[in-house]
Amino acid sequence: MATKADLKSFVTEVTCPDDFDRFWQGVRSELDGIPLEARTEPDPLRSTEVVKVYQATYRSLGGLEIFAWYALPAVGDGPFPAILHLPGYKSEPALRRDWGAKGVAVLSVAVRGKLPSSGEFNPGYPGLLTSGVEDRDTYGYKGVISDCVRGVDFLLSRPEIDAERVYCCGSSQGGGLTLITSALRPEIKAGVAGYPFLCCFPESMRMLRSYPYDELSCYQRAYPDRAEQMLGTLRYFDAVNFTPRIKCPMVVGIAMEDEVCPPETSYAAYRLLGGERELWLFPETGHGNAHEYPARERAWLEERIGVAQVVAS
Amino acid sequence: MTSAQQRSDAFWERIEAQLAETDADIAIERDGFYSQPEWDVYRVRYTSAGGHRLFAWLSVPHGDGPFPALVRMPDYASVHDIIYTPLRHRAVVMNATHRGQRNSDGSVQASYPGLLTDGIEIAAEYTLFGAYADALRAVDVLGGQGIAELSGAVALTGAGLGASLALATAARRPTVSAVAADTPLALGHPAALEPGLGYPLAELGDYLRANPRSEGTVESLLSVVNPVTTARAVQRPVLMSAGSFDRSLCLLAFAEELAAALPECDFRVYDGAAEGGGHIHGQVRGEWLAARLGVEIS
Repeated sequence: MATKADLKSFVTEVTCPDDFDRFWQGVRSELDGIPLEARTEPDPLRSTEVVKVYQATYRSLGGLEIFAWYALPAVGDGPFPAILHLPGYKSEPALRRDWGAKGVAVLSVAVRGKLPSSGEFNPGYPGLLTSGVEDRDTYGYKGVISDCVRGVDFLLSRPEIDAERVYCCGSSQGGGLTLITSALRPEIKAGVAGYPFLCCFPESMRMLRSYPYDELSCYQRAYPDRAEQMLGTLRYFDAVNFTPRIKCPMVVGIAMEDEVCPPETSYAAYRLLGGERELWLFPETGHGNAHEYPARERAWLEERIGVAQVVAS
Repeated sequence: MTSAQQRSDAFWERIEAQLAETDADIAIERDGFYSQPEWDVYRVRYTSAGGHRLFAWLSVPHGDGPFPALVRMPDYASVHDIIYTPLRHRAVVMNATHRGQRNSDGSVQASYPGLLTDGIEIAAEYTLFGAYADALRAVDVLGGQGIAELSGAVALTGAGLGASLALATAARRPTVSAVAADTPLALGHPAALEPGLGYPLAELGDYLRANPRSEGTVESLLSVVNPVTTARAVQRPVLMSAGSFDRSLCLLAFAEELAAALPECDFRVYDGAAEGGGHIHGQVRGEWLAARLGVEIS
């Protein structure tokens, strides 16, 4: 079990490439050149009296069509505050109907590789973490992160969404992507990152023998001559290089017995946050299973969003 | 014998007959990329009822056997984990998928949400019934894989749907010696049709909201896989967990009824939801399985 002292004494060896910002500005420019082609199709089977559910699609890096669940409050015309919900590594994108009654829209993204966004890019699970890792421009996560960035574009393109009130959350890979997306999209007003993955790749590989990080160890063992190349690519995708660039309020939740995302690495990301920050530590808790976490996430976001005001108006 | 029991028995007889007439056609390939210094990883492919080609991960410890074995049944998700358990150093471990999941999706692609109601009006077309056949087939394939020498101790584990599949398989396969079932999915139990549940059980509520006249048909069709109905046939020790506030997988009233029906059940209820004890129960489960398999946790 990690202790608070372990968290505070941990120092990552990950450094930020000199051209980090230039690389990501280039990705943004690439995305800006791709028409969004946002579409929504009503899903009456999943809709209820309080929430209208749509199957949404939009275009992302490489022109790939990305699927998302889009849940809108059934009452009122908006504009509604919105949450961008980002998925775990192997879990399904969650259909979040629970916010509809509170007057909040949720876009839950199936990043490339996940059903049903896997038509043109499908490295598998395991597989995604090492897909194209030889080069920053071929790495699968360049596309995955782009899909999250474009999720913000989708929300901002919608007349029913209040562009000044866009929030972000997710757990595990979704936690790491929440940090990364919030750094790349200053339009995000606040976020909650649970048990964040994608932090301190070199140390995470050494500290654990669990998947997904073990995929990288397998790669290193299979291709020892490419290990440095792999670690060089990963510096462009490590959440600890994004968190200093986050200016909005951000929560990081850490399970002290996390066997998938080492607590020390999540704390390293938290410590570097550039804006208002809050830390939730869950003792005697493993990856993704602090039973009080969902309620805390909800309460924190409700307060930031001002849910009472939304319902009253 | 009740009519529910008779329907359940007939259902399982049909599945066994389908499996009996289907050659498993096992193909095994070592995966050099994911193999580790202490164990080898294999990709296993085989055929289940209806001709569906399935996939499983298999890990075999280095060193001389025979080894005990652990089968991890698939969760309700499009992806099943590659093998990760502290028991993989000492036991053969198989992570089996069911039809529709990634790598087993040649003829059926599951959708989430959606799998729980795919073809639900007609038993022969209900996709998820095939998953029960696939679970039985996985245990049979483990016995016939020919790569690792097995000692005879075979434990099953799983969470949610995987737990229900593990219990159903243990009821039909006397080769199974123990089951660790975390928050078994209440599929088949009347409580699963309650309104206001979370996903995945909410899929049933969505379906019945759109098709209100089908409630009787759906309840009757699903009842054949009610874990409570087959519990008496699980003549092996079971470790079972539940979360007291679970409203999406294993409702507490269902869990209590199931635990009471199992002949030998160590039932643990935790203060929480679908995580069913999470890390704390994970430790309990690991030690419990290690003891049943006669191995040490690494």
